[in-house]
Amino acid sequence: MTTAPALRVEDLRVTAGHDRGARDVVRGVSFDIATGEALGLVGESGSGKSMTIRSIIGLLPPAVTMTGVVRLGDLDVTGLTEAAMRRVRGDRIGVVFQDPRSHINPLRTVGDFLVEQLVTVRRVHPGDAMRRAEALLLDVGISDASRRLRQRPYELSGGLLQRVMIASVLLAEPDVVLADEPTTALDTTIQEEVMAILDEERRKRDLAMLFVSHDLDLAGAVCDHIAVMKDGVIVERLPASAMRTSAREPYTTTLMNARPHWHTEATVTATDAGQHSPAAPSSPPDEALLDVHDLRKVYRVRKAAARGHDDLVAVDSASFSLPEGGSLAIVGESGSGKTTLARMLVGLTSPTSGEIRLDGRPVSMGRLSTRQRRQRGRALQMVFQDPYSSLDRRQTVGSCLSEVLRLHTSLSSEQRRRRVAELVEQVGLPSRHAEARPRSLSGGERQRVAIARALAAEPRALVLDEAVSALDVSIQAQVLALLERLRRDLGVALLFISHDLPVVRRLCDDVVVMHRGLVVECGLVLDVLAAPRCAYTQRLIDSVPRDGWRPRRRGRDGLSTATDLTRSS
Amino acid sequence: MSATADGVPFEPVPPGAGQRRSVLRGIVSSPSGLFGATLTATLVVVAVFAPALAPYDPFGIDGPVLHPPSGTHLLGTDALGRDVFSGVIHGTRTSLLIAGTVGALVLLIGSFVGAVSGYAGRWADDVLMRLTEAFQVLPRFFLAIVVIAFFGPGVDRLIIVLGCTSWPMLARLVRAEVLSLKQREFVAAAQAHGASSVRVVVREILPNALPPAIALLGLILAQVILIEASLGFIGLGDPNAMSWGYLANTAQRFLRVAWWLPLFPGLAILLAVLGLNLLGDALTEALGGRR
Repeated sequence: MTTAPALRVEDLRVTAGHDRGARDVVRGVSFDIATGEALGLVGESGSGKSMTIRSIIGLLPPAVTMTGVVRLGDLDVTGLTEAAMRRVRGDRIGVVFQDPRSHINPLRTVGDFLVEQLVTVRRVHPGDAMRRAEALLLDVGISDASRRLRQRPYELSGGLLQRVMIASVLLAEPDVVLADEPTTALDTTIQEEVMAILDEERRKRDLAMLFVSHDLDLAGAVCDHIAVMKDGVIVERLPASAMRTSAREPYTTTLMNARPHWHTEATVTATDAGQHSPAAPSSPPDEALLDVHDLRKVYRVRKAAARGHDDLVAVDSASFSLPEGGSLAIVGESGSGKTTLARMLVGLTSPTSGEIRLDGRPVSMGRLSTRQRRQRGRALQMVFQDPYSSLDRRQTVGSCLSEVLRLHTSLSSEQRRRRVAELVEQVGLPSRHAEARPRSLSGGERQRVAIARALAAEPRALVLDEAVSALDVSIQAQVLALLERLRRDLGVALLFISHDLPVVRRLCDDVVVMHRGLVVECGLVLDVLAAPRCAYTQRLIDSVPRDGWRPRRRGRDGLSTATDLTRSS
Repeated sequence: MSATADGVPFEPVPPGAGQRRSVLRGIVSSPSGLFGATLTATLVVVAVFAPALAPYDPFGIDGPVLHPPSGTHLLGTDALGRDVFSGVIHGTRTSLLIAGTVGALVLLIGSFVGAVSGYAGRWADDVLMRLTEAFQVLPRFFLAIVVIAFFGPGVDRLIIVLGCTSWPMLARLVRAEVLSLKQREFVAAAQAHGASSVRVVVREILPNALPPAIALLGLILAQVILIEASLGFIGLGDPNAMSWGYLANTAQRFLRVAWWLPLFPGLAILLAVLGLNLLGDALTEALGGRR
């Protein structure tokens, strides 16, 4: 064998669109990955990392063209016919996609999906193929493999499906694995499991891996080298082990510092100490703006086969309080009832039982009338996770804000226009953005608009449901800074619902940890993160990628956090 | 990144490419869409300016009987010496009047039923959907014949019958759109601000639900034109309104002696139905691609 690298990309250029509308998405990217080596390609959205992956496997969308050379060992795959390329894709390159659920045919069983390539392309006997698939599922940590093979994708959680996806790639025994944000849609604890498996199997089989991610720390933990990508070029290449010390490019440092730095020691800095009130979060209810006691939501779901109902407990006895102008984080994984909780607080969902007090006065718990919802809206406003679906794409920013003002105030149209301009500026946007439609705004700008819409009601607290999770890290930092400023200047309290501990640590004073609808721990953020009392909190903290962190398999305990049927919404 | 990162310069907003303009461009960019749009637009123009465009009174006897197409009578004359060209032009008016009014009626009933059914859910949904199904299984053509047999021919009753029986498809489509839109977060945001149900539906949901419904409307209208022409052909059209169906009806007895009598009204029907169908398809394409 020669010493040619397992994967070599030379001067890759990708152009989207034709003629006038043409845009260079990738502008001259080159790299080598040796057998057994892992390269992390890190960048924000729009940096061209996904297009790089798609060019390598030759699956570019229509109207996108590429030039450059892609070599697999000695084979130049750029000049291959479509038929030959298909062969390469199955045999020599495997791809783990971001969202396994949309990449596996929902009508076919997991077993069918796994063995298809072996049976149809390699002509392996179906029985043999199935046995190999079963063995591999065990390898990737799926214990009841024979049952899983007969199940369909909807019966598996996201974490399990991603393992199936990894197994399907390994089954073909490729030389190169491409992983495109394989754990971005997963909870951090599940992410750790899946990354541990991918990392372990890759080393065991001596595979070359191209790992694409927006998460520098995660890529650093599982790769040998990191390539930082921006605007279609690789701006810097670093050894993963000395990532933080050897970064030279300003963009790399920006990217590193955009994420709140993670350290669990209780190092209370001067600014931290100034912000935190000595009162515990469970302070007497008379001081609290919002006081929640034993809140519970049970959904009745029809049983699949039999008659009758099953009770699905979304939130099981949540209690906490939010002081006037305070900042409280509710932390938990998907399926822990965070979103249901948020919707109950703002009155979009009616609780099954329990009590919500605003300023010490209990609020009505049933289905709210329009007037009651409006009243609640003046106290609590919600900001949603996805700024793409939370804004009406047909309305301009101005008309959207104006609409809200009309609901809550009796301002004249001229006064409304001035207030809209004020709101737009308050969230750090130039006032001409009032004329813009959501379509022409970036994700971060949209989220600012969503915040402005919430502020239009002059609420006393914002309920932020994973409000920065969908944003790029540098944008995330800006929006967090905005929230801090709003809290300081307007005195608006923040109820920050998140799964992201580093962000929570930066933004909030108090924290409530939820697990399967139950509050398992609460207290000051710094105390809880430094010395968690609950094993689950510890588990969450351990799964945060950081300097010197390695993903580890945590066995059945890690698995059991995702029961098969409680999938992420 | 510290607080100074807040308020960094933003990339300029691209000049607001008007939504309507881009839809129009979407329709016109495909050859069939362009053809459909042109055809439909031409028919509308002809209908509006019919009296000015038609050289003769469509019911007036203006020349020799059963005269083939010539310089004075572009599309020939019928058995009573009436100008076929003028008849076809005025027929456009009748057909489009019926199609337009039925369209408005269908849009009104369909989007109301669909919106209420989809947004309110529960028993209202059940009741309205059963009602929709009941209307959906009515044989439209047969019902129109029955009504005309009872009350005599007339454009007004034809509009009412067709309008009241053509909405179920549209209602179901609007309902499906509303069902998916009401789960969207911008709707939840409006609700969290305390907007009333009517306001949420009218301001937030319907504007987003209507585009596909309007695309479907084009296809429904094509059917309406066909039904109207068919009724005219079997002699159940309004004898006082010149229509394509009426022209085809009078042509029945002369099929073998005067080919121009059935050909031109038939061609007009074909073009109108084709134009509306192509426009409907192109609209679906143009609006669907931008979600």
